[in-house]
Amino acid sequence: MIDVNAKKKLGPFSLAATLADGGFICLAGNNGSGKSSLMKAVAGFSQLDEGHVRINGIDVTKSSVEARGVVMVTPGSLIPHLSVDAHLIWGSRLKNLKIPDESLSKVKAELGIDFAGRVSELSLGMRERVSLATAFLSSPKVILVDEAFSNLHERREFIASYRKLTREADIDVIFSTQDEADGSLSEHMYGISEGRTQKRF
Amino acid sequence: MNWLRVISLASLFLLLIPVAVLLYYGLGPLRNPAGYSVTVFRSIELTLVSSAAAAIVDVLLFTPLAYYLARERDRLAETLVDIPVSIPHPIVGVALVILGSPRTPTGMFLNSLGIDFYNTILGLVVALVVISAPIYVKSVQPYFEAKDTAPEDFAMGLGASRIRTMFSVVLPTSIPGIQSGSFIAMSRALSEFGSISIIAYYVLQYPFYGVSPASVTIYSLFSGAVPGGLDAAVTASAVMILISLPIALAGHLFRRR
Repeated sequence: MIDVNAKKKLGPFSLAATLADGGFICLAGNNGSGKSSLMKAVAGFSQLDEGHVRINGIDVTKSSVEARGVVMVTPGSLIPHLSVDAHLIWGSRLKNLKIPDESLSKVKAELGIDFAGRVSELSLGMRERVSLATAFLSSPKVILVDEAFSNLHERREFIASYRKLTREADIDVIFSTQDEADGSLSEHMYGISEGRTQKRF
Repeated sequence: MNWLRVISLASLFLLLIPVAVLLYYGLGPLRNPAGYSVTVFRSIELTLVSSAAAAIVDVLLFTPLAYYLARERDRLAETLVDIPVSIPHPIVGVALVILGSPRTPTGMFLNSLGIDFYNTILGLVVALVVISAPIYVKSVQPYFEAKDTAPEDFAMGLGASRIRTMFSVVLPTSIPGIQSGSFIAMSRALSEFGSISIIAYYVLQYPFYGVSPASVTIYSLFSGAVPGGLDAAVTASAVMILISLPIALAGHLFRRR
């Protein structure tokens, strides 16, 4: 469950966004509507002028990025010198979580990761699969997907699998998109424009 | 006619005249065997070893500071880093003499631990670290600043602290920047005179017993301890230039990659 009330002065306008939901949430808005700014505030990369961020009822408004249990995935979210397998378990190893081989294979199969090698040598779509799987395997409370569903081959199938996995693991997801039609992939949908959110369903 | 190019190359030419003059006279008309005697080569050896040691210490101790300055807006720290290079270098030498002097409490403490700076290899290296570390930091900091921060943000989101992120995510992909910075720091250390002429005019320790750093040896030849000293100083300078040039170039080669 994510509960955000974010007020922050940005360049051209002010962020004045509220969002309170759990599950698989779509955040739709045009370029420069405040999607990334809202996500950065939730992840802890920027501090709010006013308001709060609560994750599963715990106030993390002042917490550091690494202490929030919120992973933000962007198209550049990659640790480039690692191999695919080392990358996938990197976050879970930080937290001393043991991932059984069979669960790792299952996640790889469901998310279509049937390749290996250094992640810096992968195609954009493959990189997105690896970043998103890494985020999932680190068992966070929330995953924020900022335009990182954009270069995927068989995109709708991937998003459906990701939704299923994160639901089973009780991880909330917010993904941003410029395409209103992506709302059909989600349980809840918010529109955002000039920093203001509006709940659709 | 590209006038910017003409003006730039002309000014660069002016800058290189002293080096060219030394190479020409030192290896040509004024060549003096005392300029490439065992004494000179021993002192160049001492300078190379101590400067390389200083560059290694710079990398080990000051890489985190360079990364910190690149990622956090800490104006105060940024200003303080410049202090050792913005004071006259003999002052750094005097400071180290006092720091390690048996007449001061700090010196008594250090001496009781067996640490002595005066006329020791340690004192020489410490002085070189003080004057080269700011150059190292200022050379590596822009490298970190230019790096894409997306991998670091991702690592922190996954639960890594800033320092863990530095070691596991940033440093493995920053080897070229660190190599370049260390060569630039080393060439700065090779050229040092002011501080080391005070703290270690010569070193009284094995394996460099009685050896002076190269810049000090050149200065003492120049100041006329022996007949023909000026010629010997010019020749020794030319030899020193030939040896230190590749190190300065190496720094720039790594940078370009």
